[in-house]
Amino acid sequence: MTGGLRVSRIVKNFRFRIYLIFTVTIALLTAAFASFYVITEVNGFQSTLEREGRLLATILAQNARLPLFAENREALALLAAGTARYPSVLYVSISNAEGRALTELKNPTEKRGGAIDMEVEVTSPGLVASPEALLLGHAPVDEKRVIGRVHLRLDTSGARERLKKLVAATIAIGTLFWIMVSLLSYQILKRVTSSFNLLMRGIEDIGSGNLSARVNLDSDDELGRGANAINAMAASLELRELENLSLQEELLMSMRLEVQEEKKRVMARLIHTNKMTSLGLLLSSMAHEINNPNASIRFSGHIIAKMWADVVPLLDGVWREEGEFYLGGIPFQKARGALAENAAKIVENSERIARVVQGLRDYGVGGGARLRPDLELNGAVAAALSVLACQMQQDVWLKTALGTDIPVITGNQHQIEQVLINLILNAMQSLPEGRGEVLLTTRHDREAGEVVVEVEDDGIGISAETMERLFEPFFSTKLDRGGSGLGLYISQYIVAEHGGRLQLSSTPGRGTLARVILPVGPGAP
Amino acid sequence: MQFLRSLLIVLLLLAPLPALAYDILLLQSLREKGYDEAVKGVKRECPATMRTVVLSDYAETDITRIIREEHPRLIIAVGDRALEVAGKQRNAPVLYMMALHAKSNQRVVATGVGMLFEPARYLAVFDSLGSKRVGVVCDPAKSGAYLKRAQATAKRSGIDLVVREVHSPKETLAMLDSLRGKVDALWMLPDATAVSPETTEAYFLFSQGERVPLVSFAEVYLSMGGAVALGIDRFDIGRQLGAMAQSVLEGTPVEAIAFQAPRRVMMKVNDGVLRRLKISIAGGG
Repeated sequence: MTGGLRVSRIVKNFRFRIYLIFTVTIALLTAAFASFYVITEVNGFQSTLEREGRLLATILAQNARLPLFAENREALALLAAGTARYPSVLYVSISNAEGRALTELKNPTEKRGGAIDMEVEVTSPGLVASPEALLLGHAPVDEKRVIGRVHLRLDTSGARERLKKLVAATIAIGTLFWIMVSLLSYQILKRVTSSFNLLMRGIEDIGSGNLSARVNLDSDDELGRGANAINAMAASLELRELENLSLQEELLMSMRLEVQEEKKRVMARLIHTNKMTSLGLLLSSMAHEINNPNASIRFSGHIIAKMWADVVPLLDGVWREEGEFYLGGIPFQKARGALAENAAKIVENSERIARVVQGLRDYGVGGGARLRPDLELNGAVAAALSVLACQMQQDVWLKTALGTDIPVITGNQHQIEQVLINLILNAMQSLPEGRGEVLLTTRHDREAGEVVVEVEDDGIGISAETMERLFEPFFSTKLDRGGSGLGLYISQYIVAEHGGRLQLSSTPGRGTLARVILPVGPGAP
Repeated sequence: MQFLRSLLIVLLLLAPLPALAYDILLLQSLREKGYDEAVKGVKRECPATMRTVVLSDYAETDITRIIREEHPRLIIAVGDRALEVAGKQRNAPVLYMMALHAKSNQRVVATGVGMLFEPARYLAVFDSLGSKRVGVVCDPAKSGAYLKRAQATAKRSGIDLVVREVHSPKETLAMLDSLRGKVDALWMLPDATAVSPETTEAYFLFSQGERVPLVSFAEVYLSMGGAVALGIDRFDIGRQLGAMAQSVLEGTPVEAIAFQAPRRVMMKVNDGVLRRLKISIAGGG
């Protein structure tokens, strides 16, 4: 450590600063007291000297009153000589009222140094009445008449010497006092600040992060109480730290789990979406593969029907001529009708197959976003039901109550069908054990100018928590059963795109009512 | 008119009436306690009607006019100034008291009571003190007559008056000094030259230094170191003069009444001083 750093550290040291303040304060106080003492003593010397001089002069004036009044110079000279015998008296003079000196005496051993002059008036005694006034009983008048003056000069060199000694003694005593008090205060400070240093070390340890560190200060003063408080604070901090660590670990763990769950969900959705895409492609492919042989079947049916129509008159002639004969083990008269009927069935079923395949194809590929201004709601309902025909389970009783006066709306039939399929599927899936009733209703709200489709089931209903998140994308309670979590989201989007609204109300355990409200088209009555 | 007439009569009745005739015009120099005491003595002794005029209350008093208009039978002058003013008229006889300089007023018929005891009174005191040589400092211009009477009396009493004359207060100290060792008592006369406020102290210093008793004329000097004081009784002086006035009012001519000295002596003794001087007064304290 360099010298500069050491000095800087010492200067910043609390003990040193306090000590410095103490010593400087004591020095200043000592100097102030010493100065005050010296000044007081000087003033005391001065006033004592003046008092002494005034006393001497007053005594002289008192004694000189009568000789001065009588202008008795000899007596005055004797008095002056008596006063001049005082060692501090340098000069004595007694003068009359006119200022003429009647006697004057100088001390031959006049010293060099300061001197003070003292002049006192010699007055006639007051309150001494004249004989006449006394006889007449007049009140005495306190009238002092100045009859002369006494002038003294006093030597102050002795006082000066005394003053020098006093200053020297005061400085010496003051310095000694200062040194002693400084040493004493150093010892006291050392003792007092040792606790402080201990406290500081403990605080620094704790402050540096070592929360298990403690201040080992065993005292019941402020520092002791402070140390106890800091120890308690450190213990509390340590506890909090541990709690924080534990919470962080828990948080990390939960976040990790949540991420994993989310990852699983996303993956499931991706898989589902991929499945749906594949399904679309499969449907498209299937439609193509089915349509070709189906067309051939339908054509064959038509051909068979036509050929049978041509063959029947011939066979009727044979029957009439030859009597009953069998075709394929069936008497002709039975086979005649059955064949025509079967040919018609071939065509009919083939057409039905074509329609179903077309429906599947439209659902999988999508029929485009074309809006039709003459969309019939009941037609869309029938199409959706035809798509769902194969999904219908034996235990589900699907009831329809379709309104008869429902006006056309402007919309995309395929999209409306998709909405209805989603809602019907949801209703069917909510039925406990796949058994229950689904009611499909359409009606026209003339007042509001809207058409309404309602899908009501008596299934398990929707809980309040689920209801809040019902329209969130990828939210599904049936992810494990193939749900994508997009059905209601897309349905709401489609309905909103049609200027309508999708409402869901449910009572858990009693069923759900889904209501699609769409505005009536401009061309509607 | 009737009302106005009644009002005028009432006002006339209420108006201060002219001073009624009185016997004595009492002229007083000042409103001073000493004068008041003496005047009380006069009134006590003389029940005649009086009018009192305090001269210090007026800037100037025309005594001649007052006397011409009011015809008092007698004037009593209290104090030197009152005596001087009374002396300006010649119509009424004058009695005076509390006047220290009465001798200078001889223009009118006047007599009164003086302020100084007869010398015999003092000499009796010295005699009782056993003092044979009595020092006296005085101004002949002020106390010459009294001193002569004193010397005459002293001679009869066998007391030697050692007299020192002063003409200025400054001379008092030297004169007192000259008495050192020559007297065994000191007589302080009410002489303004010999006893000035500046020199009063010297008498007592002399008394202490020479160990001789000092006999003075006022009680106040006892506290300064005097041994015996013969004080006057102003009330009694007033009574003395009151008796004189009564006599004049009864028909005795003023000229027939002699000047009197104060009759009542108030003798006070400073026992402490006498004890220190080891002196006792013969015939009692």
